[in-house]
This record gives sequence, C-alpha cells and structure tokens, in this order.
Amino acid sequence: MGKGVHVQELPGIGKRYDIDLGRPDQRISVVVRSGGIRDLYVFASGSADPTAVIELTEEQARKVGAVLAQTFFES
Amino acid sequence: MHVDLVGLGAVVLLAGLIARLGRRVGLPSIPCYMVVGILFGPGTPGPVLVEHPEDLAVLAALGLVLLLFHLGVEFPVEQVLGSGRRLFIAAAAYIGLNITAGLLLGLALGWGTSEALVIAGALGISSSAIATKLLIELHRLTNAETPVVLGIIVIEDLFLAFYLALLAPVLSESESPLELARDIAISFGFLIVLFIVARYGARAVGWLVGSREDELLAVLVIGLVVLVAGLSEEVGVSDAIGALLIGLVVSRTAVRERVERIVMPLRDVFAAVFFVVFGLSIDIGDFGRVALPALIAVFITLVANLAAGVIAARLFGFNQRGATNIGLTILGRGEFSLILATLAIAAGLDRRIGPFVALYVLILAVVSPLLAANSQHLARRMPDWLLRRGWHYVRDETISTSCTHLDQMRITETGVDVCAECVELGDEWVELRLCTSCGAVGCCDDSPNRHATAHARQTGHPIIEALTAGRWRYCYHDEVLVRAPIGRERPAGASPA
Repeated sequence: MGKGVHVQELPGIGKRYDIDLGRPDQRISVVVRSGGIRDLYVFASGSADPTAVIELTEEQARKVGAVLAQTFFES
Repeated sequence: MHVDLVGLGAVVLLAGLIARLGRRVGLPSIPCYMVVGILFGPGTPGPVLVEHPEDLAVLAALGLVLLLFHLGVEFPVEQVLGSGRRLFIAAAAYIGLNITAGLLLGLALGWGTSEALVIAGALGISSSAIATKLLIELHRLTNAETPVVLGIIVIEDLFLAFYLALLAPVLSESESPLELARDIAISFGFLIVLFIVARYGARAVGWLVGSREDELLAVLVIGLVVLVAGLSEEVGVSDAIGALLIGLVVSRTAVRERVERIVMPLRDVFAAVFFVVFGLSIDIGDFGRVALPALIAVFITLVANLAAGVIAARLFGFNQRGATNIGLTILGRGEFSLILATLAIAAGLDRRIGPFVALYVLILAVVSPLLAANSQHLARRMPDWLLRRGWHYVRDETISTSCTHLDQMRITETGVDVCAECVELGDEWVELRLCTSCGAVGCCDDSPNRHATAHARQTGHPIIEALTAGRWRYCYHDEVLVRAPIGRERPAGASPA
C-alpha cells in the first residue's frame, strides 16, 4: 500500500494496518477483523504499548472514517 | 418419544450465564460451559438438571461437527502455504515439544498406548479460540509476536487434520497389525479423496449448496456437513475429520464468507451444548484420582510452551517479553482437548481420560489468561543468553515491530542528498533512502527508477533508512518497519554479567 502504510496479515483474525505518521512518538494501527469489527490502536507515548485501544463496529468505523475524510457534513 | 426440554434449556441458559460471569474476570467460555455440565450432571451430588446425558448425544455430536467444520471453512490455506520457513520451524518446535511431552506423560501414566496417543493430542494441541480471544482482550494485536502466535495456531490446526487421520484407525478395534495398516490406509485414502474434492470439486460443491437465500444455504450446508461427517464415521475415519475436511472444501467455494457468517451462531450454540454434555458425563468423584496426573500435565505443558516460545523468539529476533508472550498465549487448552477425550471415551478407552482432560483444561483455563496477562514478570527473569549470546535486551518491553538484521546496521548518517544513478540518467526522484549497511543513497519506490530497492535486491543489504523528517527504517528481509531496537549489543570488553 501507499507511503507509510504497512499491511500485515493476522491469520484467523484479519488484517492489520500500521499507519506511519512520520514522527517517532505517534503511530496509529488499525486491525480489521474478518467479522467486520475494527480495533483502533493509538500509540502516542513512544512506548510499544498502546495508549488507547478502541473497538469499533463497522457502522461506527464508517462514521469515524467519514469525519476524518471530511465526507461528513452537518445537515 | 420424551424430550427433556426443561433440562436442556436450564443447563444451556445456566452455561451462558456462568460464561457471562466468567467473562468479567477474564475466564474463557469453554471451561465455564463444562463446569455447568459437571455441577448439574448426574455424576455430582446436588441438583441434577439432566438425568440422562446420552439423550443429548445428537446435539453434542452436532456441536463437535460444527466446531470442526467452521475451523475448516475459515482455515487460511494460502496464508499457511505462503508463510515463511521460520514460522514452520517455530510451529514444528511448538507442536513437537508439546506432543512429545504429552506422549511421554501418557506412556508414563500406564493407561495404555492408545490412551497415550490421545493424551499426546489433548496436551499438545492448543485452543485457537482461547488464544485469539486473549490477544484481542490483552490489546496485543499489534505486537510483533502476534502474527507468529497466530501462525503457530493455524499450522497447529493443519497438524490436527493429520493427527485425527492417524488417531481414528488406532481408536477403532483393529485386531492385528495388518488390519491396523489397512485402516490407516483407508483413513488416509479418504483424506486424499476429500483433498482432491477440495482442489478440483469446489465448484461443484458450491453449485450444490450455493443458494442465494441465506435460509436455504444454511439448510443445505448443514445437511451436507452432517452427511459427510456421518459417512466418514462409517468408513472409520471419525466424524471430526470429515467435518474438518468438508469445511476445507467449502472454504474454496464462492459462498465461503456467507457460510462462515451463517454457521457461526449455530456453531456457538451447539458447541456450548457439546461442552455442557461433556461436563455432564464427568463424575466429580473421579477428580481425586486424576488430580496428580493433571497437575503434572499442566506443569509439563507450561515448560514445553515456554521452551517453544524461546525457540520462536530466537528465530524471529524477539526479546524475552516476546518469548514469554508466545509461550503463555498459546497455553490455553479447550475445544480440541475435549473433542479428543470424547472420541477416546466413545472408542471405549480408559474412562479416566474424561476427568483427567476435564481437570487439565479447567486448570489451564484459569491459569493461562493470568499468566499471559502478567508475562512481563517472567520476561524480566529470563536470562539474555537464552535468546542471543552477547546481546543485552530490554527484557520486559513490548516490541511493536522487530527485525533480525539490526546487527548489520553500520551507517545512519550521510551527507549525500542526491540519487547518483538518477543524476547520471538525468531522471527525477521523490525521496531518498540510505542503505544502512554500505551507505549507498538511492531513490524511493515512489520514484520512477526505485534505485534503493534495486540496490537492496542486488546486494542483499537488509535495512534502509528514509532520508526524510520521519527517518523511518525498513528491513527488506523481514518486510517490517524497524522501530525501537530490540536490544543493543554490549560494548566490547564489557563483563557478561
């Protein structure tokens, strides 16, 4: 995949996407499980243990994605 | 015909409630189901909800069949065949150590050779369900060792197919070695037929069951699966392996994803019944007799797992935390151990296997999540020489990515700010990459000429560093981004303490 996104297969669970934010202390990883659930791993302290892990359903993930991609408009 | 719906409903409801309570304290659901079966069965003093567990035999068999069928459907064939040599060695070490330990304990117990073979499998094959759930709940999905853990589990499932094929003839009552050889031949012949169907006949099977309506798809698939499982049993191969293989066949059809989705809730319900019925058949009074062997079994499984974890960590360049995480995450035993015990009891082997495996699974179910969650304490106590001589590890630190070629990094700074080859050709480039082995600077993969990658292919130099603000590093050999070092080399002359 494109610059700074690394994809890793997780057999039996799904796929993991590591998104490099271009700074050593911040990173986001997203695990897309085969059942549709997304695990959002946020690394903000430079440590290898995640600062926060958020479990999103497909619906919730789409909402977050729409806001991040600015395709969501207030009506 | 009298159907005891009250008893069935009560135990299943209780099983679900207990599992829900168990979830709060981090217990896996399989042992919770089993405990309900044990507590409310005829073999235990106190209230008895199901007087005759054998009435539920069909439902339990359906649970066993669906468990293995679903395993076959979601089996990632391509990923396993594509996984590298290192993963196969790590998995072989894990399976070899655990199966051997189980076999030796089985022989030492002196219950019989067939019994020893069953115990080898029950101790050797871990629970995919428990390990996967642990990884999700402990927030370890992005850890470097997690793909290795999952890879080992998947290869274990593949091993299970061959193990079941070997076990079925041994469990059948063959009189002479000749008969045994014939049974093994039939068993493997049947396996090969199903493998061929999986390879070439998937389209036909897909056509047979592939209704556009979910309702009909479910009915057709369940019918097919139960039929194949039953036929397998008839030819003496055991329903378990028939179900697993028809799952592999279905996994190669176009309806795979729909089948996975539709069968999952059915599997969960009937598997719960299977675990409850297994518990119902256990007499709590037998636990005393098998307590010591079960404790010894737990201990040797722990030792074998940690040894396998260290071997995997050495292969992949992980630190102590990685080693203990691998060993302790795959510690849980569950569905396969109980399936094997069920097969053994059905074949008329020593009845002590039932309570022995039940107790073993129960102890590990409590112990393994606790140990996995606290792996850092053990990691801190593990000496460096176990992994790599002369290296000093940050023992208990979680590593997010790893690479085994850090020792080949020599150059991390350069004054060069052009891609010399591109300059010569008169081409443009986007970004620059530095080869950390020899200092060569080339253009990135978004540039037309991709000189950095070409250089790595030519020379075999593993790690490049991006000459950008982010300064990330990538290892071509391990195909990972290199982040925090997994350890640092001791300065020359330092004492090895």
